[in-house]
Amino acid sequence: MEQSGDEELIEKSKAGEMAAFKMLVTRHEGQVAGVIRSLLGSTPEAEDVGQEVFIRFYDSLKKFRGESKLSTYLVRIAINLSLNELKKRKRMNSRYTSIDAAEGIKGIEDTLDLKEHLQYAFETLDPEFRAVATLRLVEGYSTEETAGILEIPIGTALSRLARAQQKLRLSLTKKLRP
Amino acid sequence: MNDHFSEHEELLLRSWDAPVSARERETLAGVMQNNPALRQQSDQYQKIRTMLLRTEPDSFGPFFAERIMNMIKHRTQEIDYLIFFFFKKYQVVLLGVLVALLVSNMLLTDQLTVKGILGVEQDTTESIFSIDVYENLTK
Repeated sequence: MEQSGDEELIEKSKAGEMAAFKMLVTRHEGQVAGVIRSLLGSTPEAEDVGQEVFIRFYDSLKKFRGESKLSTYLVRIAINLSLNELKKRKRMNSRYTSIDAAEGIKGIEDTLDLKEHLQYAFETLDPEFRAVATLRLVEGYSTEETAGILEIPIGTALSRLARAQQKLRLSLTKKLRP
Repeated sequence: MNDHFSEHEELLLRSWDAPVSARERETLAGVMQNNPALRQQSDQYQKIRTMLLRTEPDSFGPFFAERIMNMIKHRTQEIDYLIFFFFKKYQVVLLGVLVALLVSNMLLTDQLTVKGILGVEQDTTESIFSIDVYENLTK
């Protein structure tokens, strides 16, 4: 079964072969995990969202017509669910983050190394910038694929990408100096 | 924080993510040669991109697929249980409705036979006779 293509595994899953569905999960877990964890960080919610992606796929298996590649389809669900989670998180943070806590974060920022600082800066990007940057810069999708997954024009993807990179660079300027 | 792009900074970034014309490439090469600030920015951007790019596949940890399969299995069992629970909870009501329907059938048909209670249409002399007539006509 490991040699089977996605289409074949999908057909078998539709017929109720659970081993085929499990193989699809194993095959696409990495990609889905990469996207979600780039957007949400390594948090417990990240795995919850990952599970939700595959459960939704299982529920819509009968309707899946294969118009787009399975990986694209799953990544699209992952992005949408992650963005929803970020919105939820933003609402929670705006309710509970006090000025003192924000000061505390600033203090922590000074102790981070370059990679951690970049990770921190990445997580503070606006969700729409983060989504584009995740697909293009972290996961290595082409600009066209990125725009396709997010269902936005290529020009919009390019401008968001440039803006995200500029924000990252400006936030890391001190640390990036040779 | 300066949020505005210089024209060349924008071109530099675009050249990594989309095709640029030969003329734009030439312009960029010229500017890069004469503009140390842009060269430094280019190095910084490259460093960020290198650090961000995933080199190893990510994972949700061991047995993720097994957890998904368990969730699906348990969910199906839960649905089965909900259906069972629904019937269990309302079994008295459902039984009452069933008995009421049977009694009403019995009263309406005015017959104390099983067919009458179940509301199954009874064979009447007319219906048997009409079938016979039809059969004779077709012979």
